[in-house]
Amino acid sequence: MTLQTLVDGLVLGGLFSLAAVGFSLLFGVLGVVNLAHGAFVLIGGYAAWTLLDRFGIDPLLALPLIMLGMFCLGYAFQRTVIQWATKRASLLASMLLTFGFALMIRNALVLVYSPDFKSVTPSYAFDSLSFGEVTVGLTRVAALLVSVVLLALLAAMLRFTSLGRTIRATAQQEQAAALCGVNIRHVFALTAGVSAAFAGAAGVAIGLVMPFSPPDETLWTINAFVVVTLGGIGSPAGALVGGLILGVINTMTAELVGAAFPNAMMFLLLVLMLVVRPAGLLGNSFKGSR
Amino acid sequence: MKLFVSGRPAWVSIGLTLAGTALFALLPLWLSPYGVRVGQLFVLAAGLAVAWTVLGGFSGYWSFGNAAFVGTGAFTAALLQLALPGWPAGSAFALALVVAMLFNGLLALAIAWPILRLRGIYFAIAMLGVSQVCFELVSNIDALRGALGVNLIDIVPKGVRPERFYYWALLLATLIVVLVAIMVRHSKLGYGLLAIREDEDTARMLGVPTTRYKMIAFVISAMLTAMMGVIYAHNLGYITANSVYRGDFNLNVIVYSLLGGMGTIIGPIVGAGIMTYVTQVLLGDLLDTHMFITGLLIAVLVLAAPNGLYGIYDNHRLRMRRRKQEAQR
Repeated sequence: MTLQTLVDGLVLGGLFSLAAVGFSLLFGVLGVVNLAHGAFVLIGGYAAWTLLDRFGIDPLLALPLIMLGMFCLGYAFQRTVIQWATKRASLLASMLLTFGFALMIRNALVLVYSPDFKSVTPSYAFDSLSFGEVTVGLTRVAALLVSVVLLALLAAMLRFTSLGRTIRATAQQEQAAALCGVNIRHVFALTAGVSAAFAGAAGVAIGLVMPFSPPDETLWTINAFVVVTLGGIGSPAGALVGGLILGVINTMTAELVGAAFPNAMMFLLLVLMLVVRPAGLLGNSFKGSR
Repeated sequence: MKLFVSGRPAWVSIGLTLAGTALFALLPLWLSPYGVRVGQLFVLAAGLAVAWTVLGGFSGYWSFGNAAFVGTGAFTAALLQLALPGWPAGSAFALALVVAMLFNGLLALAIAWPILRLRGIYFAIAMLGVSQVCFELVSNIDALRGALGVNLIDIVPKGVRPERFYYWALLLATLIVVLVAIMVRHSKLGYGLLAIREDEDTARMLGVPTTRYKMIAFVISAMLTAMMGVIYAHNLGYITANSVYRGDFNLNVIVYSLLGGMGTIIGPIVGAGIMTYVTQVLLGDLLDTHMFITGLLIAVLVLAAPNGLYGIYDNHRLRMRRRKQEAQR
């Protein structure tokens, strides 16, 4: 029984990680808290739902397409709106700005898709795999795999490619990077694009596992924040650790304390973590944590 | 950030506040009951926003969780009244109000120690966490009746229309909030808080007791917010955790201050007036797209006037002064 809870927690944690990593990247590199991140996650989910429902495209095949679309959206969002706000006002004001966008996206999703719950159900939605006494639905396995593979790819990209090096350099010292010939604005926008792409991917994975509705955007934004605070800012590994811890705590609290308490426990943990170690478990000294 | 230092002495501000309040107190005599309801929303919004300003506006510590004190204030009062059946309405209300304010002051004091060490975005989010924890606990612990709801005693005197009574009650509470804010602003505490906003480390180095000042401001802000919460709860008559721990309280107070002018006292009041008018009267019929338009307003506001209306006014004033000086030269 407890093993099953643990496995469920890990699957949920994988989703939390994937949904948080983009938020973490943007926060770490640009210092911008994107309160519309949860809304981006939901856009991914609704895109997967539309592609499956209208055109019969499998969510896992649609994933690259959705990530590409979200990348463009994120790039444009940074180059136009956020850049303007951070230049003219403050980073805290950019938080308010993205909150405004979250409200708009949420309202638009309600108007387009109705406030009802939707879920992405491909043909294999009801198959499952059993290992001994533990049973995991096939979609959950797929969601977990998507999370882990994408997080690994992102980590490799940041570590080994020249784009990754540029992003890390910009996060550490904006001015020095600019002096070395890095086009800061372009790198910021690319980072925002990657962030949005991962939000979209998370939306697809979430859609496979659980039903979602427009007001959920708040939940996914706050989850992302908790994951980032737990794990540390700006690194895929931090997001993975934070997400898995949060997922396991979530299911364990529901199992041992009561079904109504995971959220309270989560926030208690958040506040405790902020007090004890605000930089997170695998924290570094990127922009957002200074 | 630019420092707005008003050259106005405290007694002028207090006089203007009293005159303005007297004007607003007469309004219900002409307004329709619907108009008075909108007036209530405005006065509540203004009171909450000025209470937020005592910490957020003056010291730059933006709390994203002031709904914690609205809700906890409301529930403290409601549960206390439930525990004291048969008391006369007036004294039960007064006792509940005092206890709710004290309790929230203590709560703020208890969470201030860990949370006020955080800065910027971390403080904002920690407060969001606090408000969420309070909401979840009140909703899920049966003894606190957050999910079931609680009735509050009726305090409207005979012969007064309820909507007018609560308008005046909220107005009186808001008057108290504004007067306290003016007093804080013109005291040593107020100057200390402004110094913290401009540069906390330097302020500390120059001998401003930053930790103590922040805690005092936080406690004052929490108590004033709780006072507004108790009266709002009586106005609702029946409260659940959902109706008082409202997420929009958390953000609206900041939006009002940004719109009017961050760090000023008149700013949040003007901002609350404009936003209440726009969302309740102009957009009152557009329920489907209400959220969209609110979001758009916030976005346009941040992009177009990052220092609010007061910022525009202040820039204008500075430009005029400079022009006059050049003319004299």
